[in-house]
Amino acid sequence: MLLQAIMLMILIGTIAFCGAKGMEKAPLAVQANIGVVVREENVMTKMALSYVENLESASKICHFVQLQEEEGFQSLQSGEIAALIVLPEQLVEGIMNGTNPFVEVYFPGNAGLETLLLRELTESGAGLLRVAQAQIYGAYDTAAAYNMTDMLSVMQGEIDSYNLAFALDRLAVYEEKTVSATGRMSIIQFYVASAVILFLLLSGMAVYPVMQQEPTAFRKQLARQGTGEAWQCFCKWFCGFACMGLFCGITWIVLKIAGVLFPEAAKAVSAMISGGGSGFHVGVKIGMVMLIVTTVSAFSYFIYSLSGGRTGAVLLIFLLSVIMIYLSGGFIPSVFLPGAVQAVGEILPTSYLIRAAGGVLTGYHADIYKQCAIGMCGYTAMFAVAAYLLRRRD
Amino acid sequence: MTDITSSYGRKKILKGASFTALRGECVAIVGANGCGKSTLLSVLAGTLKPKSGEVLYYGKTAWGSLGGRMHADMDIIRTMTGYVPQENPLIPELTVYDNLRLWYPDKKKLQQELSHGFLNLLGVHEFSDRQVSKLSGGMKKRVSIGIAMAGMPPVLLMDEPSAALDLVCKEEIRRYLQVYLERKGTVVITTHEESELEMCSKVFVMKEGRLEQIDRELRGEALVSKF
Repeated sequence: MLLQAIMLMILIGTIAFCGAKGMEKAPLAVQANIGVVVREENVMTKMALSYVENLESASKICHFVQLQEEEGFQSLQSGEIAALIVLPEQLVEGIMNGTNPFVEVYFPGNAGLETLLLRELTESGAGLLRVAQAQIYGAYDTAAAYNMTDMLSVMQGEIDSYNLAFALDRLAVYEEKTVSATGRMSIIQFYVASAVILFLLLSGMAVYPVMQQEPTAFRKQLARQGTGEAWQCFCKWFCGFACMGLFCGITWIVLKIAGVLFPEAAKAVSAMISGGGSGFHVGVKIGMVMLIVTTVSAFSYFIYSLSGGRTGAVLLIFLLSVIMIYLSGGFIPSVFLPGAVQAVGEILPTSYLIRAAGGVLTGYHADIYKQCAIGMCGYTAMFAVAAYLLRRRD
Repeated sequence: MTDITSSYGRKKILKGASFTALRGECVAIVGANGCGKSTLLSVLAGTLKPKSGEVLYYGKTAWGSLGGRMHADMDIIRTMTGYVPQENPLIPELTVYDNLRLWYPDKKKLQQELSHGFLNLLGVHEFSDRQVSKLSGGMKKRVSIGIAMAGMPPVLLMDEPSAALDLVCKEEIRRYLQVYLERKGTVVITTHEESELEMCSKVFVMKEGRLEQIDRELRGEALVSKF
């Protein structure tokens, strides 16, 4: 049964891992193709266009394609380009002499996400230009009215610096920030932590000989012999805890032996998993591992007390383990799940367990150790009390 | 046992039940289903706390009132009684021997019982290495009696031991109880089986929470009319 559970776990883990890897590779920002029509073969216009094309912020999200006017509109209609910019004749000269000829920007009717984004950016850019133009003309009129034309260059300088500072601030929008769905853990560390917790939860199915409900008559006989319900409860849980601890111990020993036999591979795997966290005192790590096993065994015992029968308990453990791990983001990082699911997942015991396991593996999350420990202790107490009450109900 | 009262929630089950059983005597308690026979045995076995009354084993108080509250001396109940509940107190995944080991801490004593003691008399030695889940109802019941007999208590409390057993099993159990009674053991048995009344020296009917002694020779409709 445990073997089947492990096989299933590996299968689920592989699917989840591949899914996450796929998500990791998929670009989140789409590079939009922008068509540019230059109505006049002008050196100044070409230089201006080349300047904009080579701006780092623009080149990251836009790919400019120079087209003929007719060809541009066709491409816009077919969706090959997200926007079409038509540059008028004498553009640069017009800017210099103040005639300011219009630059026409066309967007397709059935706009995609990138087009909507470009439209927003264009409109806000145009708005910024309108304000700047109004400021210049306003300054000119004010200077003329108060006979301060000699101050005009200073005023224009001030306006330019203000607007440039404002416009350059847009770089913040393009600032590259790496946000990981798995927090400070790498994808591999994250899935190793999730797999360890899933393995432990599913190992609850294998400890049924010691955790399943024994006949009521047996319990009554035990009570007659002076072993009360609370002590019986504790002993059963402890047996499950010891078995799960044994599973962990055996797995650890097997991995250690494998490490001795294949040192190079062990080194590589260790480098991938341990991930250079600040590290903790080994006592803290052992304490956290014991707390994790305590919580998982208390959960299993609660399920065995709840379901009564062996088959029901085993099925329930499997289903609840998989569902809880999924909701806590153990298969697919929770940031990719709907908000409501994330909210539920965060308060589940598996959420604390995965974070604690991640902390033990990587040495990160010193700040959440306390929070995890409190969460796990709380859930352990809750499961223990519920299991005891369920036993007394019988 | 004097004036025992007991209830489940607000429902009063025992309303002053009393009887006395002497050493080497078999006492049968009969009555309709749900009249409180098993409740009475649970009180005697110490697994259910009565509301009031007194239970004595060989003059020693097992249940009694202490400062207005019912108090049990579990040591007396444990050493004086063996309890065979309706449901068998066995772990199905374990063998008969392993189940017995849970209740016989002394391995040597268990071996002795299996080779020439009560367990041998019950025939448990014949299937002691078999898994409980693979045993028949009669075999399981015999193991249950064997468990109740751990520590050789002088009083054996049996809750419908023959229910759902075939004739051969019933006869084996009856033969065993006969030997136990000959060795001056006391048996309190609840039953629906007329054949089991043969070996009983006293028969009580449980009616409306009280015990009423009836003629031990009554059978058939005459017996049922007393329920």
